[in-house]
Amino acid sequence: MAKLPKPEELSKIDLKPPKTDWMDTPVEFKEDMYCWGAKGKNLKVVEFPNARDWSPKEEDWKLPENWKEIVMEAFGDRLSKYRSFKLFMDICVRCGACADKCHFFIGGGDPKNMPVLRAELMRSVYRKHFTTGGKIFGKTAGARELTLNVLKEWWYYYYQCTECRRCSVFCPYGIDTAEITMMGREFLNLLGLNIDWIAGPVANCYMKGNHLGLEPHTIKNSIEFFLDDIENITGIKIEPTFNRKGAEILFVTPSGDLFADPGTYTAMGYLMLFHELGLDYTWSTYASEGGNFGFFTSNEMGKRLNSKIYAEAKRLGVKWILGGECGHMWRVLHQYMDTWNGPADFLEVPKSPITGTVFENAKATKMVHIAEFTADLIKHGKLKLDPRRNDHLKVTFHDSCNTSRGMGILEEPRYIIKNVCKNFYEMPENTIREYTFCCGSGTGLNASENMALRMRGGLPRANAVKYVHDNHGVNMLANICAIDRATLKSAMEYWVPDVQVCGIHELVANALVMKGEKERTLDLRLEPLPGKAEKEGNE
Amino acid sequence: MPVIEYGGVKIKLDEEGYLVNFDDWSEKTACGLAENEGIEELSKDRLEIIKFMREYYTKFKAFPILGAVCKNVHKPGDCVNETFMDPLKAWKIAGLPKPSEEVISYLQR
Repeated sequence: MAKLPKPEELSKIDLKPPKTDWMDTPVEFKEDMYCWGAKGKNLKVVEFPNARDWSPKEEDWKLPENWKEIVMEAFGDRLSKYRSFKLFMDICVRCGACADKCHFFIGGGDPKNMPVLRAELMRSVYRKHFTTGGKIFGKTAGARELTLNVLKEWWYYYYQCTECRRCSVFCPYGIDTAEITMMGREFLNLLGLNIDWIAGPVANCYMKGNHLGLEPHTIKNSIEFFLDDIENITGIKIEPTFNRKGAEILFVTPSGDLFADPGTYTAMGYLMLFHELGLDYTWSTYASEGGNFGFFTSNEMGKRLNSKIYAEAKRLGVKWILGGECGHMWRVLHQYMDTWNGPADFLEVPKSPITGTVFENAKATKMVHIAEFTADLIKHGKLKLDPRRNDHLKVTFHDSCNTSRGMGILEEPRYIIKNVCKNFYEMPENTIREYTFCCGSGTGLNASENMALRMRGGLPRANAVKYVHDNHGVNMLANICAIDRATLKSAMEYWVPDVQVCGIHELVANALVMKGEKERTLDLRLEPLPGKAEKEGNE
Repeated sequence: MPVIEYGGVKIKLDEEGYLVNFDDWSEKTACGLAENEGIEELSKDRLEIIKFMREYYTKFKAFPILGAVCKNVHKPGDCVNETFMDPLKAWKIAGLPKPSEEVISYLQR
């Protein structure tokens, strides 16, 4: 973050619009506001078109000669394939209800980040080519040609949208602006105009099963490191299984939790919970990624990566799948999987072996979110919990865009947190639940070269955290998304440095009283538990 | 391709300062790489960390969990950041190839 201006500077937002009309204002690529172009080798691995190294900074984007034809053909194809896309191109009345709802607009002030105008970048081309009014009246009817500058404008702004769908909540027509961004990225992808922070993980996931490119023995080694820490904390030796055929449940979670703090503590939480339950489950080193960066390139790539989870479930012969704390993994699972790779008829409707609860809501996908699973355990009194072990924490909860707006998981995480922590404070109501603000770095924008964009996009969320920090002393921002755990850590360090970030299963495992455990003195971060510092020091 | 010289040894780097040939590494090379990264002295603690990183990379072809590095060299959990300021510098001095962008952004503080 060395290049970033100080927070006091970055939070001065210039809302003065440009002097010229939006169509006459050319796109300006601002420093630290965009990502590097995808490397050819990463596009080649998954047979994406026009695989070559390129840079958005250069004038020449090394496009195929017939690039316009490629885009317009795909545009027509997707309009006929996706009725939602056609509808979203047609029905916006430009009422402006969404204009000030986007975190990038609030934190950046660029009018083209108003969702209505970001969508207009594409609608204008739609009108010109696919509507009679646009063809006849041109600019007067809000229509324009797809030129190279327009294409560059698409690229700049469709990689400044995290598909969080907050704007859609306020749209009186329910236009899902994320689907417009998704189409924008899909068209750009046909020209090889991806970003490397997406293309790299996609290539890794395709080749090795996870975004980080961790090989089977590396995954096992990382988990063994967690087990060693767990044994130090609890005195309990845990022995999970990998790729075990005949297990009842396949557990899939984002690979980020196997690599970086604070996600690693969430992974420790899963291991401790499953051990305590005696759950008949297995990790997989093949389906070793819950996330799906393919979803940020094209529907087809999203489908290809998603299929690995189901292929592995079939190969291992499990009954159902349990998924970890992740965001976009669940948008894919809940809203796309069933028509991409479903129906998963070879699996059973998930039933908790501990409580007997049948997860009817997961009847189609056969995959249950761990927040639902754990909330059900607590509701049935199956866990012995000592929330005092989290007394050093004053917790607030950040609803991840995809789990809240994408699948309606609003109550379960709160129910869990309230049972494992005594100090819980909600952020202001227009910033939580379905109104939640994005972390500012989702959909593959969690790179290191676009930090100004990320911090601007994270400002509205950080501002709400600051409110509960200042008013209630909140020092922990809990969430159920691996990208959040990585990105909010940076956003908090920048905007509200006293607040740390965690997954909820870290909190669960802190509070979990395990059979045969030694007297706990340390939390999962190896910090002394409340009231145990002296005891620990004496040992 | 940039070449730096340290104590009479020529060290080939890529454009971003990563050692081109894994096998060119030696403690002397590491001193040159450290100097290139603005780290004046390669203390025993630093050397222990980078040697572990090389060992880990040889086995796992991956960037290790930072906590695991510290546990293996018997240091407190934040030892890599405390010793090098930036884990990527340690990685470069260990003569290892550039990690993926995703790994780099996870390491960002």
